[in-house]
Amino acid sequence: MQGLPGTLPPNPHARPAGAWGWWLLAPMLAWLALFVVAPMAILLVYSFGSRGALGVVELGFSLENYERIADPIYLRIFGRSIGYAALTTLLCVVIGFPAAWFIARRSPEWRGRLLLLVMVPFWTSFLIRTYAWIAILRSEGLLNAVLKSSGVVPHVLPAPLDLLYTPTAVVIGLVYVYLPFVILPVYASAEKLDGTLLEAAQDLGAGPLRVFREVIVPLTWPGIAAGMMLVFVPAIGMFAVTDLMGGARVSMIGNVIHNQFTRALNFPFGAALGVVFTLLFVLSYALLLWLGRRRDETAKAR
Amino acid sequence: MKTRNKLLLLGLSLLCAVTVAFGQARKRGELNLFAWSEYIPQAVLDGFTRETGIRVNYETYSSGEEMLARLMARRARFDLIQPPDYIAEALIKNGQLLPIDRSRLSNFGNLMPEFLNMPHDPEQQFTIPYMVGTVGIVVNTERVTEPVRGYADLFSERHAGRIVVVDDGRELATAALYTLGKSINDFSPANLAAIRPVLAEWFSRVKLFDSDSPKTALLSGDVDLGLVWGGEAALLWQENKKFHYVLPEEGAHMFVDLLAIPRRARNVENAHLFIDYILRPEVSKLISDEFPYTNPNRAARKLLSPEQLANPASYPPGDRKFDTFRYLGEDIAEAIDKMMTDLKNARR
Amino acid sequence: MPTVHAAPSPQPVYPAASSRPTAADSVAPSGPRRAGRSGAWWVERGLAAWTAGVLAFLYLPILVLIAYSFNSSRLNVVWEGFTLRWYGELFSHAPLIRAFKNSLIVAGASTVLAVLLGTIGAWLLHRNRYRFARAIQTLICVPMVMPEIVIGISLLVLFTLVHLELGHLTMILAHTTFCFPFVLVAVQARLQGLDPALEEAALDLGATPARAFWLVILPCLRPAVVAGGLMAFTLSMDELIISIFTAGPDSRTLPMQVFGMARVGLNPMLNALSAIFVVTTIAFVLFTEHLRRLATRAA
Repeated sequence: MQGLPGTLPPNPHARPAGAWGWWLLAPMLAWLALFVVAPMAILLVYSFGSRGALGVVELGFSLENYERIADPIYLRIFGRSIGYAALTTLLCVVIGFPAAWFIARRSPEWRGRLLLLVMVPFWTSFLIRTYAWIAILRSEGLLNAVLKSSGVVPHVLPAPLDLLYTPTAVVIGLVYVYLPFVILPVYASAEKLDGTLLEAAQDLGAGPLRVFREVIVPLTWPGIAAGMMLVFVPAIGMFAVTDLMGGARVSMIGNVIHNQFTRALNFPFGAALGVVFTLLFVLSYALLLWLGRRRDETAKAR
Repeated sequence: MKTRNKLLLLGLSLLCAVTVAFGQARKRGELNLFAWSEYIPQAVLDGFTRETGIRVNYETYSSGEEMLARLMARRARFDLIQPPDYIAEALIKNGQLLPIDRSRLSNFGNLMPEFLNMPHDPEQQFTIPYMVGTVGIVVNTERVTEPVRGYADLFSERHAGRIVVVDDGRELATAALYTLGKSINDFSPANLAAIRPVLAEWFSRVKLFDSDSPKTALLSGDVDLGLVWGGEAALLWQENKKFHYVLPEEGAHMFVDLLAIPRRARNVENAHLFIDYILRPEVSKLISDEFPYTNPNRAARKLLSPEQLANPASYPPGDRKFDTFRYLGEDIAEAIDKMMTDLKNARR
Repeated sequence: MPTVHAAPSPQPVYPAASSRPTAADSVAPSGPRRAGRSGAWWVERGLAAWTAGVLAFLYLPILVLIAYSFNSSRLNVVWEGFTLRWYGELFSHAPLIRAFKNSLIVAGASTVLAVLLGTIGAWLLHRNRYRFARAIQTLICVPMVMPEIVIGISLLVLFTLVHLELGHLTMILAHTTFCFPFVLVAVQARLQGLDPALEEAALDLGATPARAFWLVILPCLRPAVVAGGLMAFTLSMDELIISIFTAGPDSRTLPMQVFGMARVGLNPMLNALSAIFVVTTIAFVLFTEHLRRLATRAA
């Protein structure tokens, strides 16, 4: 659990691959070429095409799809998707970090138990978990029933809460779905953190805030970064939660892409949206890596 | 350890074999049905399977455009589809439907003549009417005391945030055309520009867009008014008489959902069997029991209870004339879709 | 047994909690050991309360669903009485049963393929030095981190372009594509801790490389292969977004069916289904935990 994938050290005992080595690896390489590289290439080619009669894709080279993305509607949707995903990520980190930290500081026995408790929702179908919130947030759902019977409504709040089918509901749903995705990697980083470092920092006179900012955060950064990546990117594209909780009113980029392939009959435009989304994803990935590296460098410089 | 590994391998290859065999075996005796969500009772499908041994895979969509997209652009192979009239018109014009062999339909005569030979299929060669319906306004009269007569009342300021509408661009654009007094099949650039501000105002007051089951939000009290499918309104009325159905005074249209066999269908024989099964009076009655749209099957209507026939959302009283949709091409469809995306995402 | 230590798996979603005690345990005062109630004590209490709150947030909705799965009311707000009716309806609901079967077929086949591709790939990449090894490794990670919707639409355009009919086959291809990297990475992590002398000893004793892999390496990798396989199976069973784009009329999976039902509105059958899901998940998590313990004990 070193944070972001793809960072394993190479095996020093490996031998140069012979012809056999390549032959044996060929099926996997072919699989990757066929089902990862080729589809992306086709997507890119499609994105320059245009829509023909009854949804047939006409290949060609036009930038009209990209021009359309530059239209304020779609820029706004991209912006909002990023905003919601960023808010979700932030909330997940803020809510999840203390819990992950706490769990990592327990005795091994308790750590195991608490971790299991986080794992169960993590492995439970996200649809089921989203569905649970519909029952709770409805106007005549559980939340308002509790508020009414406890007298909060009408004494504290003037009227029952109207949460379902609002952006708030979407964010609640997203946070709920993705929270374990932050807790688990942060836990793994925090668990490895050597406690004597904290003691040393305290003994050297660092206040709790300073210890947090200059020791805890840098040392658990791989976990935080992994968690952010695991929340931010899927949250942008997650159209199922927005569909169920947002009443089809709150569109995220995932909904628009989905719509191009299921309703609007415009594969090329959907492909262009997909390409832009992919670029966005690569950028945010690079940004996180860069942030991590900069942290390392400043740490070394000190 | 060695034997255990071998056993494991054996198990894995068996699993593979079973998967492949399963995939092969199920191709026979199947009907891949592509239809609206919340439209065909499970009991009807089960009954058909029990009688014929044909398994029905029921895949759903929630708008006519979605159906067209999945059928055409994704090359999905369905045996029987349930397009609305104007989508069927496009499919017929593009040669995408197989003619229906009426000699195999012993129950064809049950259909009422006014739902046959309509403009989308003048010769009645390719389609069979499944259900007919209107799109109208539902009002929860316990919560809304003011009279609601048409679109203008429904989308008025005082109902903001309490409205559910079908998530269907063409329907909503049509409602806007009605309020402007324009022809509902004329989406000229001028008309598109004219309806834009109307829809923008409406959308800011809509709480929920839902085509699959707009009744749910009304029943659970999340919203108090809706622009919904007639059958959904009829169900609400059955549930509680406080839900009134209003056909908008500005104008209302009728849709006919049809059964049709796509050109690439694999189980044409089974599709005919299913159509004929649906046309049986007692089966058609089952559909009306669960999804009370307007039943075009005269023999089936005779089996319905007086209360069912008195449901104003299923069988609107009076002799009102209804418009129907025509297919207008993908450019119009896309223009409408783009406007919907735009307006839904404006200023929030 | 060879000296294999349980390497923490590097992929971010399957942390293997190592049971090695950290020095921190002695630092964090977990009781009133210190005389005064210092700031640290309060921080600790705050964290404990926060964690309890987070767990409550995670569990309350699920528990509510389970409770309501026994409620005889259809509009599940008011408790009307105990019933098992929804469970009965669930098991006689043909589309759900069929969707479940489809899910098992797709997940089963994808898991087998993913385990084969992942295990062999991990071993080869570990044992041999390839040119472009870094590029290959990055490419393998792409399906793991790529947004699901992009994987879904790109596979859809591929399948439509080559006129491959959407159905079980396309689903299995798609699911294998995003599952096998997880197996590969899990196995790679295990290989990190493997003694390189093992294979050499087997080869010196006259085994062919294939036999050495089969008889010596694979048994050592088994915990990782099983863990990776379980992971692939679960991921496939829960996958919705990619399935929506790659499924055909006869291959609707359980998540797709549930999504369709949830869109139509509240349905007591879904409560019952949720309860079954949660119970299965708990059993599954306990089982993997048990496997992990066995693996660490063996090491």
